[in-house]
This record gives sequence, structure tokens and C-alpha cells, in this order.
Amino acid sequence: MLPKFSYVRATSLDEAVRLLSSDDGARVCAGGSDLLGCLRDQVFECSRVVSLTGIDGLRGIARTRDGGVRIGALTTIADVAADPTINQSYPGLAQAAGELASPQLRNQGTIGGNICQKPRCWYYRGDFDCLRKGGTTCHAVAGESEFHCILGGAGCFVVHPSDTAPALVALQATVRIAGRRGTRSVPMEEFYVLPNQDVRRETVLEPHEIVTEIVLPRPAAGMRSSYHKVRARGAWDFALAGVALALQFSGNRVTAGRVVLSGAAPTPWRSREAEEAIIGKQLDAATAAAAGRAAMEDAVPLRRNGYKIPLFQGVIEEALLAIGRA
Amino acid sequence: MRKEPGSRYYVEGIEVPETPEPRSEQEQWTQTEYVGKPRPRVDAYERVSGSAVYPSDTYLPRMLYGAILRCPHPHAVVKGVDTSEAEKMPGVRTVISAFTPDDRATQPHSELIHTTLFSTRCRYEGETVAAVAAETPYQAWDAVRAIQVDYDVLPFVSDERRALDPDAPKVHDEGNQVAPTDTYERGDVAQGFAEADVVLEEIYRAECEIHTPMELHGCVAKWDGDSLTVWESTQGVYNIQAGLAGALGLPLSKVRVVGHYMGGGFGSKLQAGKYTIIAALLAKKAARPVKLTLTREETYLAVGNRPASNMRLKAGVKQDGTLTALEYVGSGASGGYQAGGTSLLDWLVRDLYTCPNVRTELTNIYVNAGPARPMRGPGHPQCAWALDQMMDALAEAIGMDPVELRLKNVPTVSQARGGSPYTTTGLKQCLEEGAAAFRWKETRAAIAREGNTNHLRRGVGMAGGLWAGGAGGPPSTVIIKLFSDGSVNLNMGASDIGTGTKTVMAMVAAEELSVDPDAIQIEHADTGTTQFATASGGSKTVPTEAPAVRAAALDVKRQLLDLAAGEMGVEASGLTLKDGKVVSIDDPSQEREITALRSLRRRRSITGVGYRGPNPQGKAVNPFAAQFCEVEVNTRTGEVKILRFLAAHDSGRVMNRLTYQNQVFGGITMGIGLAMTEARVLDGDQTGKMVNKNWHDYKLPTALDVPADMTCVPIELEDPEANSVGAKGLGEPATIPTAAAVANAVYHATGVRITNTPITPMRLAQALADARKGE
Ligand SMILES: Cc1cc2nc3c(=O)[nH]c(=O)nc-3n(C[C@H](O)[C@H](O)[C@H](O)COP(=O)(O)OP(=O)(O)OC[C@H]3O[C@@H](n4cnc5c(N)ncnc54)[C@H](O)[C@@H]3O)c2cc1C
Repeated sequence: MLPKFSYVRATSLDEAVRLLSSDDGARVCAGGSDLLGCLRDQVFECSRVVSLTGIDGLRGIARTRDGGVRIGALTTIADVAADPTINQSYPGLAQAAGELASPQLRNQGTIGGNICQKPRCWYYRGDFDCLRKGGTTCHAVAGESEFHCILGGAGCFVVHPSDTAPALVALQATVRIAGRRGTRSVPMEEFYVLPNQDVRRETVLEPHEIVTEIVLPRPAAGMRSSYHKVRARGAWDFALAGVALALQFSGNRVTAGRVVLSGAAPTPWRSREAEEAIIGKQLDAATAAAAGRAAMEDAVPLRRNGYKIPLFQGVIEEALLAIGRA
Repeated sequence: MRKEPGSRYYVEGIEVPETPEPRSEQEQWTQTEYVGKPRPRVDAYERVSGSAVYPSDTYLPRMLYGAILRCPHPHAVVKGVDTSEAEKMPGVRTVISAFTPDDRATQPHSELIHTTLFSTRCRYEGETVAAVAAETPYQAWDAVRAIQVDYDVLPFVSDERRALDPDAPKVHDEGNQVAPTDTYERGDVAQGFAEADVVLEEIYRAECEIHTPMELHGCVAKWDGDSLTVWESTQGVYNIQAGLAGALGLPLSKVRVVGHYMGGGFGSKLQAGKYTIIAALLAKKAARPVKLTLTREETYLAVGNRPASNMRLKAGVKQDGTLTALEYVGSGASGGYQAGGTSLLDWLVRDLYTCPNVRTELTNIYVNAGPARPMRGPGHPQCAWALDQMMDALAEAIGMDPVELRLKNVPTVSQARGGSPYTTTGLKQCLEEGAAAFRWKETRAAIAREGNTNHLRRGVGMAGGLWAGGAGGPPSTVIIKLFSDGSVNLNMGASDIGTGTKTVMAMVAAEELSVDPDAIQIEHADTGTTQFATASGGSKTVPTEAPAVRAAALDVKRQLLDLAAGEMGVEASGLTLKDGKVVSIDDPSQEREITALRSLRRRRSITGVGYRGPNPQGKAVNPFAAQFCEVEVNTRTGEVKILRFLAAHDSGRVMNRLTYQNQVFGGITMGIGLAMTEARVLDGDQTGKMVNKNWHDYKLPTALDVPADMTCVPIELEDPEANSVGAKGLGEPATIPTAAAVANAVYHATGVRITNTPITPMRLAQALADARKGE
């Protein structure tokens, strides 16, 4: 059952920022598909729900002047997945959006909500003492850790749940943020916070701040992108292991680009090891396998997620071979 | 002494009245007008449009909402419950707990263990500690949260594989073994192994599954003086009536239970829950109707599960495929109370394939987790997981086709029942016709030809099966009324648990009375107004109720023809019914509309009564199956795509081609859940709490996990001995071989055998990596 809270539908960004600033227990609500679950499970306190759906201009996909694309924070995942420009210029993002959750959730959930969603760790969401909730322990360490991280964990071992975020990091997107002190832009790569920086938050957002849009730069010549995801069932499920690629090719040689993992770490995880293993190379079987191994070099599994190492090697290999053929 | 399979669901050996005269007039149908044809459900529109009223849709004037406080620990003593804050909260009308007077009703957990409604020693997470009724569900939940409980948290054990260790915490003071180990033996297994050319041994495990029916468990309870009416989502209204009357000390006649529509149970809604009794008590105390619907999380904890099963199987076979010995040691988790932790877990080893030397051992074990309940084919899918994977391994070891090996060992008698013959056994036909329709040999040859060396590997697998129940049997009483306008009213106590019972019964009555099934109105599942029926479970509803419906229809028909004979001046034996008319068999020009019969118009109605007669003496009635599937495995990622499934089933007569197919496809879907996705996860090394008690973390298969290409091949053997309609059960057999068939196909594709359910990419990616390392 949901606890008691007040609900306000803001009609302007300023009003929303004001509503967030004046109540410590205020939370932003976009599609509500993640927030309501958190409230029902009492993951955190919330006294005021500030809905963004009454604010004009936060929805839609448009070309930017320099040939990139701007996606309003309230654009639904389904719209991102279906958008012709995104499918053409940033297929990795369209694939990530199209593979995520279920049709209902894609219709309801927004891209802003997707990159700001809370971790899905069952200890965090359940009725357990948990570091990220202000408790004293991380139960994943000695517990049921099959869905937890193998990279970037420290004290807390959640994985970041978003499928779109790794694609956006790979595509070098920027997040536009509005808050009490005006607006700012943060590269997606710097948007997330690792547990060793602050175990209580996932992003750099202040409580009074709102993501207004995501900006994708114009794709470089020879850019290919893709998203591969392995999950425990065919739909309605997060990544066990995923990989977002945005690679620049010259002929069939990779000249630059990013390899970003989902399901690996508490944030979308850029694997510079894998990038190093492929840049300057053709994506043949040996290179792809070497990149998979390189990406897992520093991985430290918990008790139940050792499978992620061969699984990531497999999915990275698969994704690289596929994009090399594309 | 072990109970006969299926005795949970119905009673054998009782005296039953029979109409018409036993077996008279009840020749098996040869040509049918309605039965066996594909017919959409009589209530399809109501179900699809949302106008069907389920118990969860029931709202009564002045109704309150109940909520239950449950123990958050797997093992704890409740030292005190302070409800004073909760009682003062807005909207709260009543609060009950083990520490309030007059609430000491006990509830049978099983025949042997009765527990108080509210526990002071909680043996699993989710035991009931207190309950509240309030004006709104939100107020009820706020009040539940305000109740202060003083728990003394005790050490717990969640894994039945560790629960018998000497230092394991005790779930019950007497120890963690529910009952002495049950053994079964025939022949001499040592001798059998000595005769074998190949002996293999393997350990298998099937993880605990939760029923998770779409409609949550719950009810609405309302008192009228000293009589109680309960609308409950149940598989059997008479079971709920008995549970309530027993716990509350009421005469059965004062308890009316209604369950017209219900949104699935799979075995978890065969009995009254504690919540049912709590709703009745809250309603009594508050003097208002109370609705109590459990949350999804509560249903994961407290209303049953298919228990985790551990199985060690040793098998011997001769080079020619003759099975010489099977030795099987099984254990299962009963949960916090005595429940069927190992029920029927060895039945397939005992009975499915011919084998002279068999020894089985079953040990049922307490753990601090929710008690088990029957779940679609109790024990069988797990046993098939072991036995049919073993058959596959044996076939490979002796270089024989897996289908051939099974065909070599098809029994004609029930070996586990001292050699009773089956009325019919279609196992051979299921294997042969299923394999032919699947193109088993051709597909295996094609895969072998292509070499299967790519990282995407194809494989095919199959498994056989039977279900220990599925005969049905007495008691059941059905009443049919024919009105003077030719319309018909069918009154039966059975629940339609989503299987299409109402539709099938309308077709049976229509067949005998020669009226359109749409002209038949069905009253059912109401202890106040409909006749006694056992719960719909054990795949016995069609073979139990359809003969009773047929008997009632024949009773009406006999009376109607007698009336017509008088008016038409013809012998009744020379008349029959056709399209709403009484027609002379010899001279079809002699006919009369039913509505034109004067005596019927004066009488206004004819009432017929039908009873379910006894089952054949000394014979076993069981359904049989074989299922086949093809998979594609990505050896890089361990992802398995099931490409197609084919199910050949001998369940006797097909009553309705559409609902038959629904059962088969639904059974396969559920079996894919066991094979591929589902497992309860307990935080066994720390808190003992369940971590995946919701529909996201507990993974049911989705539409994308089930192949679009599913084929149902009915093996329709005539079975006049089984019962008067010749049908056997289908719902459970449909899910029994599925998981084993998938595991065999994955093995065929990859050479990796997964012996622990489910075959997730997690498990398979690791196993494939290990196999590569070993190469
Ligand atoms: C069963 C299930 C399966 C799922 N599977 C997947 C999956 O496979 N992959 C995947 O990526 N996701 C998955 N999701 C998550 C789903 O995609 C998110 O719930 C959705 O994208 C969130 O969008 P929303 O608009 O509903 O966000 P909301 O629920 O409204 O908000 C989510 C969070 O973000 C904050 N927030 C929202 N918008 C903003 C904003 N503009 N500025 C600042 N903060 C904001 C909210 O305060 C809240 O904390 C799944 C969810 C469920 C329930």
C-alpha cells in the first residue's frame, strides 16, 4: 500500500523547482512507473510528489542546430524506440529503448525517468537493512548476489538498471538540468555516482534539480552504434549483462569509440580495457574475444554472480562481431 | 502406509446412488453433435469484457477492508502484540491477534497439524500475527503498520538439504523430519544393477516454485445473524465451507460459500486460507461485511508453493534398451508445517516405464519457509525432470534413439499398483504419433548433418509422462431442469477454475438433450444453491462432473420421452430428441416440438438428477503424454530460444477441442517456467527472508519465452471403462514432461546437462564456460 503523500502537478519548470526546494521529502514524478513502486515498497520517504506532466516543452524529439538531437525528458521510451531519426542516427539508443521492460512500461516510462530510476537490488527494494537506504550493511556481500555487480562495487554492490543510460554514455550524450541556481549541462559519463563517492545517491542531481532534456551530438562519420542485452527472460526484465557500442569505423577498422556495459556496475560502466583492445583493429573473432576478456580483467564477482564473467565475455564478443559485420 | 495418489482430491470406495440405472443407456457416444467440437467458452464475453464478477470485484454496502500483519522473520516467538495505537487510528473498526480474546480459532494445516489462527511461535516468514478491519484499505494498512510486536527472533533453517544436520535449528521441537522416510520397493535393485550393461547415477534438483495465479487470494465475508456467506476465489466452494465451519464451530448448513468466477489457483486455492477465517472473524466482530484480499507479496510467502525437490537417481539398462533397475532417493521441503513436501515425488519412477526392480525413498523435511501445497501435478514435473533426463542419458550411453528407448519400456499395467491394468494406455501412441508429427527422426538427422558447430546450436528433446490422478470419481451430484420453453438449467457445485468446465458441461448436456449449448444456463460453485462437488483439482473435473451431467441429462430425457410417448401414442423406447423436438426413431415424420407437449406446459419443468458412478474395479485410469521440443542455444551467452513444442496427450475423449488445446498450451507454458525462469530465492545465509516476492524478481515466463509454434496432438483412445464419457484428466499431464523435454533439448544442442532448474543464461553461460575449460 502506498503511504500518505501530497500530489502536485506543476505547470512550469520554475514552479516544479520551487515545489522541490520547499519540501525535503519532495520527489519528482514523470511516468511514475519506478517512483510508485519505490513508494509502495517504502524504499524512501516521500511527503510530496511533484508531477512534471503538466509542464510544456519537456516532451518530444527534435534536431539541434549542429545536427544532433534533443530528447525532452518526458518523452516516452516507446517514442524514443520508434523515432525515425534516432533509429537512423543512433540505432544503439533505439535498440536499448526497444529492448527495455515491456510495451506497457515503455508507453508509460519516460527517458528522463529511465536514466534517474533507482537500483533494482532486491535488498534495497525489500524490507532489509541496506547501506544505500542509510542502514549498516550490504546484504549482497554474503547473500543472494546473482543480480549484483562485478565492477565498481564498494560497500554497495547494486547494478545500474537502465538500458538507455549505457547507450547514452556510449553516444556521448549530455544531460540538461534545471534547478534552483538555473540550468547546467553534465555529460552522461559524469552524471552517475559510484558508491565509493556517495553510497546514498545514484546521480549528481540535487534534490531540487530536474532533468529537462538529453542532447546527443551529431554522429561522427563512420559511426555505428548498437545495444545487446541478455536477460533472464524474454521481456519485462533488466539486463543480466548488456553492452552498448558506439564505434567509429574507417573501412572495417575501428578508429575510436566507446564500449559501455549494463548490468556490470553501479553505474553504466565504460570499459576502457575493451576499447583499447579494439581501437585500431578489425573486429575479427580473435579481437572480439580479446576485448571480452579485457573487459573482465578487473571484475571481482560476489558469491553468486561469477557467471557474469563468461556471460559478459560472450555478449561483448557477440556485439563486436555483429557491429563489425554491420 | 502411503496414501493412494490423488486421494487428496476425492474419495474412493464410498457408496453412491446412481441415475439412471448403473451404466444403462450410457453407451459411449459414437457420433456427436457438440462434444469434441471446438467451441468458444460460454462465458468468454463476460471474462474478456470485464463484466464477469470475480470475488476481488465484489463490493457490498458498508463493507470494510481487512489487512493482516505477518511475521517478518522466518522463525520467531511472539512475546506480545500491542494494538492500542492501531485501535485508535481513523477508520479502524476492529483489531484481532493471538492476544485478543475470542480469536482462538484453529485452522487445519493438514490432517495432522492444527494451528491457532494467530501464531505465537512463527515458523515461517509471513505467518499471521494480527489482523485489522477498517473503512478503507489504506487505513487498514496504516493500522497494521502501527501494531507493535515484541518478537524473540530464533535461529532458522531455510534449506532442506541442511535441515537434517544435527546442529540445524529445529523448526519443530521434535525435529525437522516430518515423518519417517517413506520407502517403496519391488524386485531387487542390486540384482537389477548387476544385470545392467550400463549404470548411471545423477543428482537433480528442482527449485521451489510459487503458484502466482493472476487473481490474488482473498474473499468477502458477510454475516446474517448466525449464518455466514463468503465469496471466495477458490477451486472448491465445499472445501472452503468445511474449513470455515470446522474452524468457527458452525454447522455446515450455516456457511454459504460462493465462487462463480475465480482467477486461477493451480492447487493453491483448494482449501480455506487463514485469511478466509480471519475475514469471517473480523466481519463478525465489526458486524460489517469484510473484504480481505492478500497482497501479491503475501501470496508469495503464505499460500503454498511447489516445494524444492532433491532427487538422486541411479538407473541400469541393458544394451538392448531394457531397463533393469531404478533407485531413487528424494527429499523435499514441507515448509514450516506438515505439508506435501514430497507428495508423489517418486510416482513416475515407480510407474512410467517398465522396470522390474525399483526402490524409492522419500524424506519430507521441515524448513522455516511457507508450507507447500499441491501445484499442478504435485511431484510429477520434478520427478520427470530427473527420470526423463536420465532416460536421455541412458539412451545416449547405449547408442539408442531416446524415443526408441522409451518405446522399449512402455508398460501395459500400473506397476506401482501391483500390476492393475490400465483401462487404456496411450503412452506408446503418444511417443510414436508425437515423434512422427514432430518429425523427430528427420530433425535429429538434419541437425547431425549440419554439424551444429556454429555458436547458435540447435537441439531437440523429448520426455514422456503420466499423471497418477486423472480418473475422477464420486461423489458428485448434478441437477438439470428442462423448462417448458425448451431451455435448460444446469446446476452443479463444481468450480470453473479457468479450464472451461462450464463450457464442457453445457456441451455434455446439449449432446443428450439436443439443444444448443447456448440455451443452457449454468448455476455453479455455490454451497447454498448448487449440488455437492469436490474441488476442481487433480485433473479430475471433467472425468468427475461430465458423467454426472450426462446422467442428469439422461434422467431428464427419459422423463421427457415418457411424457411425449403418452401424448404421441408411441412407446418411449421408440423416441429420441432432435433439435428441440421429440422424434420417432422408426418414422421421423412423427415428431413433436418439446414446447408443444401439453403435459410439459402444465408441469412447467422436468428435473433430472445425475450422480457420478464408481470407477471400474481393479483397473487404473490414468492419462499419458509425450512432449517434444526444439531449441536454439547461443553458446556465447547461454540464451535458450525455444523454437517449437509439440505435445501428444492421451486423455481419452477430447470434450472440447479449444479448451483441450488451452490446457495443453497453458501446461507447456507453466513447464517452461519450471525449466527456464522460476525459482523462489531465500536469503538463506543471512535473514532467511524471501528476496523475490514480486512479479518482477520472481520470473514467470512471458509471451516471448514461449514459442509461437505449439502443436497439440490428441491421442483419442476410446475408453468406455473409465467413465460414461470416456474422458480422462488433462490439466496436470500437460505440464509434466515439459521441463525435462527442454533440458534434454539443451543437452542435445550443447552437450551440457543442466540438472538444477531453471536453465537461465546465468546457469548455462557458466556451465558452457566450464565445459570449454574442460575441453
Ligand atoms: C517490471 C519492470 C521492468 C523494467 N525493466 C526495465 C528494463 O529492462 N530496462 C530499463 O532500463 N528499465 C526497466 N524498467 C524501468 C522503467 O524503464 C522505468 O521505470 C521508467 O523508465 C521510469 O520512467 P518514469 O517516467 O516512469 O519515471 P518515474 O517513475 O516517474 O521516476 C523515476 C525516478 O526518476 C526521478 N525522475 C523522473 N523524471 C525525472 C526528471 N525529469 N528529473 C529528475 N528526476 C526525475 C523520479 O523522482 C524517480 O526517482 C522496468 C521497470 C519495471 C517496473
